[in-house]
Amino acid sequence: MMTLPRITLLFSGLPAFADSFLPGISTVALVHAENRLMMFDTGPYAYRPILQGRLRKLNIDVGEIDTVILSHVHWDSAANADLFPNATILLHERELAYAETTSEHDSETPAYIGRALRRLRLEPITSEPQLCPGVRIVELPGHTPGSIGLKVGDALLAGDAVGCACDAATGDIRYMAPATALARNSLKKALGLAAVIYPGHDRPFHVGPPVTYLDDYAVRIRFFTDPTGPDEEIRIGSFAPKSFASWPGD
Amino acid sequence: MKIDLLIPGLPAKADHFLFGICSLVLIRTAGRTILFDTGPFRIRPTLIKALRQRGLAPADIDTIFLTHLHWDHVENLDIFPDAEVLTPRSEFEYAAAPRPNDWGTPPYVREILRNMRVTLLPELEQEIFPGIRTLLLPGHSIGLQGLVIDTGEERAVLASDALWSARDATRAVPDVAFFDPARAQASLERALAAGEVFYPGHDRPFRFKDGKVQYLTQYRYELSFPFQPLGQSFGIGISTAQTMSGEKRP
Repeated sequence: MMTLPRITLLFSGLPAFADSFLPGISTVALVHAENRLMMFDTGPYAYRPILQGRLRKLNIDVGEIDTVILSHVHWDSAANADLFPNATILLHERELAYAETTSEHDSETPAYIGRALRRLRLEPITSEPQLCPGVRIVELPGHTPGSIGLKVGDALLAGDAVGCACDAATGDIRYMAPATALARNSLKKALGLAAVIYPGHDRPFHVGPPVTYLDDYAVRIRFFTDPTGPDEEIRIGSFAPKSFASWPGD
Repeated sequence: MKIDLLIPGLPAKADHFLFGICSLVLIRTAGRTILFDTGPFRIRPTLIKALRQRGLAPADIDTIFLTHLHWDHVENLDIFPDAEVLTPRSEFEYAAAPRPNDWGTPPYVREILRNMRVTLLPELEQEIFPGIRTLLLPGHSIGLQGLVIDTGEERAVLASDALWSARDATRAVPDVAFFDPARAQASLERALAAGEVFYPGHDRPFRFKDGKVQYLTQYRYELSFPFQPLGQSFGIGISTAQTMSGEKRP
């Protein structure tokens, strides 16, 4: 019997804004399929030890990942692609070209990302190949020239082509720039393809209508505002009590 | 000689990602405009704005002092392609092949430094510009170097992550010392003995007054989280304005 492909969410994206830094809280997922273990996106470098810890908790060795699919090459999606020594890195040919020609002052793509990626085993793609039964690439250009998603069963890992549930609910690009005709077409294409969408910067949702989230969300942030006093802590959403004792390895 | 804090370090931890917002300092002295560390990608727009507010463009930075080669200190190097980069030789050599469990040093950091004008600093405390001496502070990373700047009135110690936050000073224990804890302990003590004003890696500058930490500046951050597809955003403001050392919050 064939094992149906399934998604494990490693990092839930969050459409957060801050006044003086870029949150970059993007979605990272594992895709399990028959004899395959794939990563969809790798997050910003700021995820690195937490990503390693979450894989360890799932008893997954980084060497077991055979494929990394990069939805696009922005700083908050592609910074940890080098963690997987046996993986082939799939990205769109146009995206690789974009990574290698990006200007020094691109607000989302560092100039060195192309050079960092070139050290890896890259497989640039140009269409919508099936990777294994039930799993295929979907072209979703607009957010970047070579943005792609991954269809897994009736779900779609959309990258930033669907930034958040808000964009899906309004059918318009409100959150995730640039709001071009190309990006709007890709949003529309994504919404027509799947029953469940994993957006680049939000929790997964049922396309509906109405758009409804699959799950709750929790954030904990701790600030050391007073060197001799207790930490200030912000908790948002539902959460289990958690210690920072082994931070950041969990 | 002018020491100008561009971005204060943020002593914060989240369960989901590393903040990595480190202190960025602009030092202007005879003939040189020096940037002390470059910060993580997420503060790139804030850094460019902070320079602009001082009438500077990235091209006006002629010298970058890189204390060590962790991700959150190097990710914005590429916006200063013509600057001379001063960094410890031991850091540069180590970065060619970081330890597998070292999540702080990107294995591709030498790609970030490629094509830059790099001047390697020996493991030696020396005056690199008039009134500016290097300080050897290994332990947080293999060969971290800070600076002691003599303004004529007092000595400022730019300790980077050898003094992660002011809490390291009050507890007399380094908080983030994962490379070599014994050397990190010695370096913390060395940094605290080297001057009168301290710039931690991830906290605001401070001095001691009657044995207590007295911060020299405040900060405030605003975050907003849209939690429902079409709902209102949830906003949070973090401000230290009420938490100056010595004052009790109501």
